[in-house]
Amino acid sequence: MSFKAKLTSGERVILAEMDTPKGVDISNMISHARFLKSRVDAVVLPDLDTGVMHLNALAGGAVLTQQGLEPVIHVYGRDRNRMALQGDLLAAHVLGIHNLMVVQGEEMINGDHPDAKIVDDVDELGILNMIQTLMAGTDLAGFELHGKPEFTPGIAAPPITDEDQLTQAVADAGAKIAAGAGYIVLQPVFDLDFYKKIIHAFSSLNVPVIASVFLLKNVGMARYISINDPTSRLSEDVIRRIRQAKDRDTECVTIAGEMIRSLKEISQGIKISALGWEDKLPAILDSAGL
Amino acid sequence: MITAEQKPIQEIIQYIAPYSKILLVGCNECVTVCAAGGRKEVGLLASALHLNHLKQGKNIDIREITLERQCDPEYVEELAPYIDGVDAVVSMACGCGVQTIAARFKKTPVFPAVNTRFMGASLSQGVWSERCKGCGDCVLGITGGICPVARCSKHLFNGPCGGTSNGQCEVSPDIDCAWRLIWERLKELGMESRYEELMEAKDWRPGGAGGPGTIIREDLA
Repeated sequence: MSFKAKLTSGERVILAEMDTPKGVDISNMISHARFLKSRVDAVVLPDLDTGVMHLNALAGGAVLTQQGLEPVIHVYGRDRNRMALQGDLLAAHVLGIHNLMVVQGEEMINGDHPDAKIVDDVDELGILNMIQTLMAGTDLAGFELHGKPEFTPGIAAPPITDEDQLTQAVADAGAKIAAGAGYIVLQPVFDLDFYKKIIHAFSSLNVPVIASVFLLKNVGMARYISINDPTSRLSEDVIRRIRQAKDRDTECVTIAGEMIRSLKEISQGIKISALGWEDKLPAILDSAGL
Repeated sequence: MITAEQKPIQEIIQYIAPYSKILLVGCNECVTVCAAGGRKEVGLLASALHLNHLKQGKNIDIREITLERQCDPEYVEELAPYIDGVDAVVSMACGCGVQTIAARFKKTPVFPAVNTRFMGASLSQGVWSERCKGCGDCVLGITGGICPVARCSKHLFNGPCGGTSNGQCEVSPDIDCAWRLIWERLKELGMESRYEELMEAKDWRPGGAGGPGTIIREDLA
C-alpha cells in the first residue's frame, strides 16, 4: 500500500530519513535503500533546507524511486523563487515523486554557504497554495498546464518550546492544512509526557500526525543537543544511561526503539532520523518491534 | 536618500476607518525631499481625509505634526504629549520612521501612509532613480562609480548580458545598460583594465543575508 493510501486509510506509516551525499557517490544511498525497502513505507529526503549543500532531494528521490522506494522530498523557499519551485515540482511528478514535505529552510548564516544570497520569494503557506494551484492544472501566473501533477503535501511542525508556543504552532498548522497540507511531521522530543501533549494538540487538526525519533549517536552528541536545543527536552538521565552502558551504540539504538514503541501507540506514524547512521535503521526497527 | 510615494488614498482610509482621532506625522528628511511625506504632504493628506469623512457624514479629528527625523527616538519623543489623545497614528515617513514610532508607543496603532521605494538620487525636478541596494560591500570603486547591483536589471557582476542593445537594457529602452555605462566610464578614466578583473561570487551577508543588519559604533554608543 502506498504512503498516501496508508495516510488516508488511517494505517500506521513508518518513515526513515536519509541524507543524500555531498558529492555524486550514491553507493551508500543505494545500499541503505536496499535494506530499507521492505521495512519502511517511505524515505524522507531533506533538501538543502538543512543549510548544507549536497545532492538535491529531487535527484535523491529519483534514485530512490529507481530502487523501488517511495520518497518524500522537502520543499522550501529559501533558495528558489516561484518559477524554480514550480519547475521542480513538475519535475518531481514526472520522476515519480509525489510525496512532499513543505518546510522552512535553515538560516543561511548557519549553513555551509553563509555568504549565499537568500531568495525567500514564497513562504510555506505560499508553497502549499502553489502545490494546490499546480494540481488544479494551472501555474501561479494562471497559465494552463499540459497535464496535472499529483502530490501528497505535508508540513513539518516547528520545535515546541512551551505550551503557549504549542497553541500558536497548532494554529499555524491549521492554516497550512486549510491550504492543502495533508499530514504533519513533528520534531523529535525526548520527554515522552510532553511529546504526548504535543501529539494530542496537533491531533485536534484531524490530519495524520507523524512523530519523529532521532538516533542519538554518543554521549557528546546527546550533551550537545541537551544544551543547545532545549526543545528536545533531552534529560540528564538519558545522557547518563548512554554513558553507563557497556555497549553505547546498542544503547542508543535501544533508546530510539523504546521511543518508537511508545509513540507508535499515540500517533499515526513515526519518522526515524539516523543522521548518517542509516545502517542502524534495521536494528532500530527491530528494537521497536516493527 | 530613501524615496517614497504616497499610498493610494483608499488604502489609508481603510486603515483609519475604525478611528476618529488621528495623529498624522510627517518627516523633514528624505520624504520631504522626494515630496512624499513632508509638512506640505501632511497638510494635503489631512485635507483629503477631512473631505472624505465629510462626504461620508463622519467626524474626524486630525492633528498634524512634522518631526525633524522619524527614524530617531529623540525626535519621536516629541509625539509623547499628543499620543494619549489620539486613537491611531498615521506616519508619512519611510518604514524606518513608522517602526520607530511603533516601538516607542506600544499601545497606539501606527499605519503607514507611504510606500518606501528605494535608495535613490534625484535626476531632475520630480525624478528620482534607484542607485543603491544597500548590499553592504560596495563595489563602486571597481565599477567606475556605477552600481551593477542597483542598476543592472540582472544584478550582474562581470559584464553585460546578451540582452543589451545599443546601450539600453532589454527590460526597457528607458533603462541604460549599467555595464555599458561602466565600460564607458572606465574608458574615460583610462581604467579599462579594471573591466578585465573578474569579480567572484558576492558575499551577501553584509546586505542582510545574516538577518537584520545592525551597526554598533562603540565609540558613540
